[in-house]
Amino acid sequence: MTDTTTRPSGSDTDIKGPGYRVWFDAPARTVHFEGVLRLSTSEYKPIEDLLDRVLLANPALALRMTELQFLNSSGINMLYKFAIAARKKGETEIKVHGSSTIPWQGKSLPNLKKFLPTIVIALD
Amino acid sequence: MDGIIGEYKEPTDAGPRVMLTFYPGAFPVKWNQCSVAADFFAEYFADVGEGGLTEEAERRDFVGSVGYVLNELIENAVKFCAGGTVVIDAGVEAGEFVVVVSNQVCGDAVDGLRIKFAELLDGDPAELLMQRVEENAANPELTTSGLGFLTMLSDYKARLGWRFDPAPGNPDNALLKTAARLQVKSS
Repeated sequence: MTDTTTRPSGSDTDIKGPGYRVWFDAPARTVHFEGVLRLSTSEYKPIEDLLDRVLLANPALALRMTELQFLNSSGINMLYKFAIAARKKGETEIKVHGSSTIPWQGKSLPNLKKFLPTIVIALD
Repeated sequence: MDGIIGEYKEPTDAGPRVMLTFYPGAFPVKWNQCSVAADFFAEYFADVGEGGLTEEAERRDFVGSVGYVLNELIENAVKFCAGGTVVIDAGVEAGEFVVVVSNQVCGDAVDGLRIKFAELLDGDPAELLMQRVEENAANPELTTSGLGFLTMLSDYKARLGWRFDPAPGNPDNALLKTAARLQVKSS
């Protein structure tokens, strides 16, 4: 995209863009997703890279989605692909924290189990 | 090139109705404006449709579902627009949110789209979604996820339809109209 307003900023483990932030809390082994993520498929690359790196480096990981109000289908694709990567890597415990008051989470997060049967999904 | 696939239905004046036209030639549609437009329709119809949604959980579900589905439709229209306008025509009637998003596509693309749309409606959307994600994971170079319509069908129980018409003023293009319907109260 040529629209500079959607370009992310921050570091490799703290990605910020207009209306969203994705960051890794290393001591807590938790990736936090916050705001509204409606990027194009290619714009998710920095976040995909972050997820790939932390997956390789950690035997247990949590994804905290309780502050992520919207995620479009390109973002859902990224999330499901992460689950497949974790399944292929094996020996990784993944837990997802979500909120039952955020509609997309109740509808789309349960599908993660189809790609990674061992994943734990906790909806507040 | 005309013809209908799936459950194609346009909004009528029987209930509240809003149309919005983007003129990409004069006012380029930026990606984040898809989101703004989708949220406007979701918030607007949550309050005006059939007396408004007064239960907090129902309102939240409506805004989330309409916002998701419409954002996907507008993103598609902007992404694949081959010139001309992008029009959003939405209304609420008989307990349903009804929307048609129109954009022009290249005439050469019509046959391929027809096949793709028919395949979406023929299979089990949950199964197709799983297959598509596995394919996406195996082919990281793909630039589109292909999950928009599949998530609408599988996770949001949207009823979808498509119609092709001649594009006004451009014999090389076709006018693609994508219709989606959602229950205002999902449960």
